[in-house]
Amino acid sequence: MAKVVPRPQLSFWESIYFVEIFKGLATTLGHAKKNLLSPDNFPTLNYPEEAPRLPQDYRARHRLMKRPDGTPRCVACFMCSTSCPARCINIVAEESPDRHIEKRPVRFEIDLLLCVFCGYCVEACPCDAIRMDTRLGVMSGDNRRDFVIDKAKLMDWDPKDYPLTDVQSQKAPGGSLHQQALEEFRSGTYH
Amino acid sequence: MDIASVLAFLSLHFDEIVTVLKPVLIIALLFQVLPLLVLLERRGAAFIQDRQGPQRATFNLQLTSIKGVFTGEGGDGLRMRGFGMLFNIADLVKLLFKQSFVPPFAHKWWYILAPAIPVLAGLLTPAVLPWFAPIVHSVAPGDMRAVSGQIFDTDNGLLVLFAIGSLSVYGVVLGSWSSNSKYSLLGGMRASAMMISYEVSMGLSVLGMILLVGDFSLTRIVDWQAANAWGVFVQPVGFLLFLTSMFAECNRNPFDVAEGESELVAGFHTEYASAKFMLFMTGEYLHVLIASALVATLYLGGFDLVPFSYKLPGGPYDTAFIQAHLGLVGGLMLIVGGAGLLFASHLVTGRKRHYAKLQASDKQSRVKEYGFFAAVFSFLAVILLLGGAACLLLFPAPTPISGAVYEAKPVYSLWVSIITAVIQLHVVLGKTLLFCWLFIWVRWTLPRFRYDQIMALGWKVMLNVALANLLITALVAKLFT
Repeated sequence: MAKVVPRPQLSFWESIYFVEIFKGLATTLGHAKKNLLSPDNFPTLNYPEEAPRLPQDYRARHRLMKRPDGTPRCVACFMCSTSCPARCINIVAEESPDRHIEKRPVRFEIDLLLCVFCGYCVEACPCDAIRMDTRLGVMSGDNRRDFVIDKAKLMDWDPKDYPLTDVQSQKAPGGSLHQQALEEFRSGTYH
Repeated sequence: MDIASVLAFLSLHFDEIVTVLKPVLIIALLFQVLPLLVLLERRGAAFIQDRQGPQRATFNLQLTSIKGVFTGEGGDGLRMRGFGMLFNIADLVKLLFKQSFVPPFAHKWWYILAPAIPVLAGLLTPAVLPWFAPIVHSVAPGDMRAVSGQIFDTDNGLLVLFAIGSLSVYGVVLGSWSSNSKYSLLGGMRASAMMISYEVSMGLSVLGMILLVGDFSLTRIVDWQAANAWGVFVQPVGFLLFLTSMFAECNRNPFDVAEGESELVAGFHTEYASAKFMLFMTGEYLHVLIASALVATLYLGGFDLVPFSYKLPGGPYDTAFIQAHLGLVGGLMLIVGGAGLLFASHLVTGRKRHYAKLQASDKQSRVKEYGFFAAVFSFLAVILLLGGAACLLLFPAPTPISGAVYEAKPVYSLWVSIITAVIQLHVVLGKTLLFCWLFIWVRWTLPRFRYDQIMALGWKVMLNVALANLLITALVAKLFT
């Protein structure tokens, strides 16, 4: 048995249209007036001249975090590639020269055309090595190969583009906390 | 041949000269306002819908003499967006240079003829609209002549207007039928049925006004409104009905069934492209313009300055008042124009400040362009304001020609009459643009009516209300006048 949805009955004032029309006209004129008088609050942007203001937690292109000496924090544990629903992360591991760390990645590749930008890799990572906070919402390339980003490209980021409150990013080479972090790192007290 | 004899010759043959100049002037005027209307439609729609609107057509203004000031990232010169105005030129170039394609299945002769009809109707109808009060001037003592504000001065102006205005439905029908396409035919059928239905209530709603005035001449309708009350106040119901019918006549939302792009691709002009499509669009916007001018003339007092001016101190503010206080009225109008330009300059400066704060790759060129326009607008505003102040303070009150009287009113020199006509032309244009904005505003506010709703509204509601309005007006007119 199909459910019968009754049509909404118009009240008298609604059925003669004019009151409702004037209400609608007031709404649209309000928008026109607001957009004409105050360009600062314009809801749309002149893309691509103006970059969209993406929020800090927007899931954008990935990056690999760095230790103070510039090596990736990744320990090649395969947690991210295991949790990836799109299976877009491809890691090749090798033995790490550091005796406290078992493995390190030789190759770390993400196929952005397969990636669904779910952020599971970021959540799965046990040592905060992969993040998606680059705010690079737009990716372009000439062929499919351009969309497979390797370790070098994942680590090609500048701490100056990240806020000072982002301590882990600032401890990387070039960051505001790098010098102190490097000393701690060499003396073995770094976490 | 000295200047005095040239002026005497001009004054003697003023009628002939004006008769030739009037159509040229009015048609030129209409085609000056059209691009403004397109811009108003596009940017107005954009602002209503929280969008930026089209503003990407640019050209580089080369100002080599001040090269150091204007050097943008696109080489020397100032990258001009012109608030999207350049899109008119871009569209024109594109549409004119496209292949003039006639579909093989179309009836070629009628297919080509159809787009010309709305434009023709749109260019003929302003002939009977009064754009200013008759220019009365004295050729010789005792020889007074009046040049009408209408191009085609007839006592049956309104009838001529409706007769020609209704022809534009032929463009829609012919275009849709000769295209030999189902979408076009459906759009044309619906539109023709709708336009003919709404013509009934349009005619009946305007009859109330004609009953009160007792004349079909549009100039006399305006005179009656100036002497008594504007049409909006004496015929509010008729005004609303007439306005609604005009929306239907122009095929504008919410009566946009001719185009119906959500279900009929583009309705009656689906098969049209290039210059023929452009003619259809020109016809549509001309129709909007003429409809606005007609509503302004019939119900908003036409070239009359202020409603109920005969009750105001110093009134009535009619043609004789403008002629006697030319400096005051002209100065006030210049000041109003200057204030408008100052406001425009303020808006542009606001945009300039906004872009100066932004992180945009073309920030510099935009800041420069808005700075340029702010400077131009401010300069023009200062000129207008100073001119207005000078008119207010310095312009000597014109004295009527002694002994010259036309229809119990004093006659002034030819130049005073011409300036008065220009002032009145601006008054009509201002009211017309007000209604043009209403057309655009309503289009982007209301959704389209369903076809059966349109027919129900036209035949069951508007026709009855128009008849009742006519009946009541007739009774009142008979009993109280």
